Amino acid sequence: MDPENYDPEGDLMILNLGPQHPSTHGVFRVKLWLDGEVCIKAVPYPGYLHRGVEKLCEKLSYVMITPIVDKNDYVSPFINELAINMAFEALNAVETPRRANYLRTLGAEMQRVGSHLLWLGTFGLDMGGALGGGASVFMHCFRERELILDCFELWTGSRFHYNTLTVGGNRHDVPAGFAELVRQTYTLIGQRADEYDAMLVDNAIFRARTKGVGTVDAKLAMELGVSGPILRASGIDWDLRRDRPYAAYNEVKLDVPVRYEGDCFARYEVRMAELRESIRIVLDLIDGIPEGPICALKPVKLPGAYKGKVGQAYAAVEGPRGELGTWVIADGTDKPYRCKIRPPSYHAVSLIPYLAPGNNVSDIVVTLGSLDPILGEVDR
Amino acid sequence: MTVPDDVTRLLAERFGLESGDPITVSRDRVVELGGALKEAGFTYLVYVACAHYPATDAEPDRTVAEYRVRRLPVDEVAFRVWVPTGESTPTLVPVFAGCDWQEREQFDLVGTIFAGHPDLRRIMLPEDWEGHPLRRDYDIATRHHPWR
Repeated sequence: MDPENYDPEGDLMILNLGPQHPSTHGVFRVKLWLDGEVCIKAVPYPGYLHRGVEKLCEKLSYVMITPIVDKNDYVSPFINELAINMAFEALNAVETPRRANYLRTLGAEMQRVGSHLLWLGTFGLDMGGALGGGASVFMHCFRERELILDCFELWTGSRFHYNTLTVGGNRHDVPAGFAELVRQTYTLIGQRADEYDAMLVDNAIFRARTKGVGTVDAKLAMELGVSGPILRASGIDWDLRRDRPYAAYNEVKLDVPVRYEGDCFARYEVRMAELRESIRIVLDLIDGIPEGPICALKPVKLPGAYKGKVGQAYAAVEGPRGELGTWVIADGTDKPYRCKIRPPSYHAVSLIPYLAPGNNVSDIVVTLGSLDPILGEVDR
Repeated sequence: MTVPDDVTRLLAERFGLESGDPITVSRDRVVELGGALKEAGFTYLVYVACAHYPATDAEPDRTVAEYRVRRLPVDEVAFRVWVPTGESTPTLVPVFAGCDWQEREQFDLVGTIFAGHPDLRRIMLPEDWEGHPLRRDYDIATRHHPWR
């Protein structure tokens, strides 16, 4: 230790949580000032996964950007594609066909289930030894998520980075036998979700470690732009799917779960309720998809064929982590002039300096897990 | 997104500004406008985003900073301020706490300077990075020292 920098009165220990720690869900570093086991101050350092996606968007034409943004939130690529293509469509006021809207809604809800399953598994892992090794929930959830990836593979040909949406509609129609596979998969996951709920909620250690831990104040959360399940667990009844419907959400019945405690357990409850709600929407939708074309524009043969009208647009969708938006300025060429992606996780991570002080290090890990940050979209 | 009527009235009576999406406001009144909108119920910060515009015959080299705020559930207002390169715009951190990280990110990537920001450091790029990559004149193939 460097004696010049040692503060004998403070007697604080500085601990770097991350950047390679598994509980940070990616590559993320938080510098903690600790008094014994209790955190006094926390300073996050994001940016380890910065890949310059927004600069790439300025260099690529509109139709070439979709596969790039797939990798932003690498747990829900379908919703990334939806968010950016909706902004590009808003520039030219392109109306997507009804069947495309239904398929987009179906895909987004299928993806939300997969994303929440991965969160549930890693959240169990964050609890570590408290839950019989913790890895059992993780393994169960990954088994189910594989089935969802199989559905997407049948639909788009890729398990993960689909590149299936484009400006004006979708690129892949659902194949024969798809409805049957989806119905089987999601019925099964719906049954097993109850088992996972029982595994966690009936565990006294899980309740003790999540109840009253990491309470988020709703007023602060709104000023920080936090959205999605975190905001709804703090008592704000607001969901873009219901309040500003896009795709086919105005024709879908949707219950928005809300909790008022604002702690990790409330966020767990909201996400589990959303998981079940999304499964219900998938099973409702799968039989009622209308017939028709899936793309409003002619298939793009050349990458530069689509040009955005001079102007700007902002479009947002409700992703599994909250409001995923895209702000785009067009200058009339085949490339965006400026494209800003508004990731929900970036706003969620900015809560950490407010949540961490006063907590034990073990509680900080649980709090970070309950925020469900995806560092790929925080850093972009 | 249309601007709500009460905001149009507020803009005309107190600020003498035209309503629009986005509203353009001068640098000396942007903090006042942010505070007035927050009082009117726009407490949700959606984003802060900047874009760079190189010099033309009519305009100097400048960036634009756009703030979007929302009154749940649906009302939304965006206001923007033009900042000539080399000058600064006052920060909105005292009004919206979320501007802290948002303005830091835009400073890092676009280079807009927010005067009075409590912690205006780089957030995405290494601290010793040179230049601001989202400026239009920043070449994507810019070489950096190999040890970075």
